[in-house]
Amino acid sequence: MDSYLLADAESVVARARQGDETALEALYRAFEVPVYNLARRICRTTEDAEDVLQETFFEVCRSIRSYREEGSLWGWIRTIAASKALMRLRRNKYRETDELHEEVVGRRKDDTHLRMDLEAALERLPEVSRAVVWLHDVEGYTHDEIAGMMGKTPSFSKSQLARAHARLRRWLGEEVIA
Amino acid sequence: MSHLSMETLVALREPGTEPGEATAREHLEGCPLCRAEFDRLHQRVARLKALPALRPSRERWPAVLGQVRAERRRRRFRAGGLAGLAAAASVALALGVTSLQPKESGPDRARIQQAMVRSQVLESALDRIDPESRVTDGQTLGIAQELEDRIARVDRELEMAELMEQQGRDAALLRLWRERVGLLDALVDVHVTRASNAGL
Repeated sequence: MDSYLLADAESVVARARQGDETALEALYRAFEVPVYNLARRICRTTEDAEDVLQETFFEVCRSIRSYREEGSLWGWIRTIAASKALMRLRRNKYRETDELHEEVVGRRKDDTHLRMDLEAALERLPEVSRAVVWLHDVEGYTHDEIAGMMGKTPSFSKSQLARAHARLRRWLGEEVIA
Repeated sequence: MSHLSMETLVALREPGTEPGEATAREHLEGCPLCRAEFDRLHQRVARLKALPALRPSRERWPAVLGQVRAERRRRRFRAGGLAGLAAAASVALALGVTSLQPKESGPDRARIQQAMVRSQVLESALDRIDPESRVTDGQTLGIAQELEDRIARVDRELEMAELMEQQGRDAALLRLWRERVGLLDALVDVHVTRASNAGL
């Protein structure tokens, strides 16, 4: 993904380490959309996601000297972005329990007949479930990694993922008729 | 065996040897309903991955750059600050005590120290204003960025000047530190004016 997003990543990183602002901006331009997309999928509002975008790149600019090139550049930036987004969820006192989420969203008797599109269904998930779905199924993090970032257990991550999929299946009208 | 739960179906996508996995896989092979559910799960994940990327509606790079520059200023303030203040204090002392003695360091050194102290005072004032944490209108932001750009350029020139040979170095440093003080003064003015106009 690095070379896809940033053709001359090595040289840009080398210049960014020297504090070259053009190189820092090149990093921002290359990874702005994937970072924002990840943040927006996790955070509740566009404002929160934009704040995460800003916090992520400020951290990238501060820490680029400590980037050891052991993994991909995108992998490194993505982990910073995911941590910042999850921190923001915690700060905003996310709706962690399903029960509370049902109170907030309101129980709908006609849930089984809903036909939402995937975007709307994803948006409707409780924040933590949505974060787990996105980090696991789309970004490819393992349950152990997600647990580490969230300060929870891998079992918590697994159960959030299963519940989220059960909900998505229902809201998307995908239930298999026995 | 009853049908597989969503938790089991989700777990079966992962490589590993969870307890009961072999039995669950065996059921999956022989149960069309669970197979269909499993396929739908895969399709749903594929559709999630294919969702279009969301893009920010607002440009955030200027704000990031502002933070980066403010941090650099603070670092310069901290790094140069303690040493600079100590040096300035010793120069001030030396000037008081040795004004009648031949000046080994030359008049430029004392003026440089004065400019450094003034620069640090202005940095402290900027820190107190904390412009990065405030909402700023476009015009003010433009002026502030122009000043920040010029301060960043002066900082780079200062780094270069510090590496110069002795001859001409102090004159260059003095000119640059004075320029930096002037720019910082203007930057503080911009933020103070904006804050008073906004009633902050």
